[in-house]
Order: sequence, then C-alpha cells, then structure tokens
Amino acid sequence: MNALADRVADRNVASVFIYTHEAHPAENYGHVTSIEQKMQHAHDLRDKLGIARDILIDALDGACHRAYGSMPNMTWIFNRSMQPVYKSDWTDANSVSNAIDYFLDVTERRKDREKLAPFRVERLDYRNQDRDAFYKGLERNGPRAVEEFRNAF
Amino acid sequence: MADADLITRYNYDTFVPEKFRPWMRFDESPPLGEAGPDFSLMRLNGSTVTLKEVVSAHAYTIAEFGSFT
Repeated sequence: MNALADRVADRNVASVFIYTHEAHPAENYGHVTSIEQKMQHAHDLRDKLGIARDILIDALDGACHRAYGSMPNMTWIFNRSMQPVYKSDWTDANSVSNAIDYFLDVTERRKDREKLAPFRVERLDYRNQDRDAFYKGLERNGPRAVEEFRNAF
Repeated sequence: MADADLITRYNYDTFVPEKFRPWMRFDESPPLGEAGPDFSLMRLNGSTVTLKEVVSAHAYTIAEFGSFT
C-alpha cells in the first residue's frame, strides 16, 4: 500500500492509514485503554512497521471505524466531496490499485468532456492469502495472538 | 464523553468470537456515492483534523483502516 501511495501521490491522490484498535491484542500490543497508549501504538506503526503514509488516530471508542463497518483491515476510497466511491472489507493493494486507476481515468475522461453518469457495481475481488505472513504478523504481537486465532477458527 | 462500556467492548482484550464478531458490520456501512459521516481524528503530532478536511484536500483519498494485527 505504501508503494501504491507513492505511485499515485502526484495525481492528486492522498493516502492515509487510520489506526483503529488491536484486532489481536496480545503480549506486545495489548488492547487499548487510553488515548496515550493508542498514540504510542500509532507511532510504532510508523517506526516499526514502516507505514509511510499519513497516520490518523481514531477516537478511543472507534467512532470513525465503527461508522464505516469496523472491519479489521478495510480500505475505502473517497472523492473530495466525501463520497465513498470504493469500499472493500479487506485490503488488497492490487484491488485498490485497480480501483484508483479507474477513477483517475474517469477524471481524464471528464477533462475530455465525456458525459459520465455514476452507477453502482458489485464485484468479488481476490487477494493473496499468505498464511505465513499473516501468522508472522500475529507472532509479532505475541504467542497469545496466535493461540487465540487458532482457537477462534 | 464516550461511553466507558463501549470503549471496553470496542477495545476487546481477547480475540474470541463473542468479542470480535459484533464489530464486523461491513454490510451496514455507508453506501457508495453519498457523503459519508465525518469524524474528528488525531495526527501523530497530537493535532486534530476531521476526515472531511483530509478528504477534501485531494481529488481522491485512499483510507486504509488497521492496526498491528
């Protein structure tokens, strides 16, 4: 996602990461109990995970996250009128890249004075299911995260 | 002031279905093509900004929601 953000940054596209809550709280990053702790987690996201995009921190009660569906790793694309034009219940850089390229093309078509009208479309996209990488992410947060995930499914 | 019980339930302490499943509400999320709800967010430097302020500054904004895990 960082690479995608870099690729489209000069095309009037901003990319942000909104820190929500720990989906798998464990020994290293536990459940959040204060805004100070939440801020520290967000700083660590930048420093330890290398999130290079602007990081924004949601309220302690997750007001923004909850309003948009509260999935653990979802992505939304907004136009400047605050209208969502894309939403995915899971983040996949290929899917997001495909979508933003489409919307940038729409911008170009409008510049060429094409008359365009919006319509709704549903589509099932496919993401890489890298179990090893996923478990490494859980392990990074501590053995309890791995154990609880295995027990849950 | 946010509800203390809500804060506790949202920031659940263990990943067990009865605690995480209630929050998976993507099917109830705002529709495409209509202005979404606005919220106050914090930057890493502690300043506040609204989602609308962020979004209105560019033609498009990609917003990924997430955490360490």
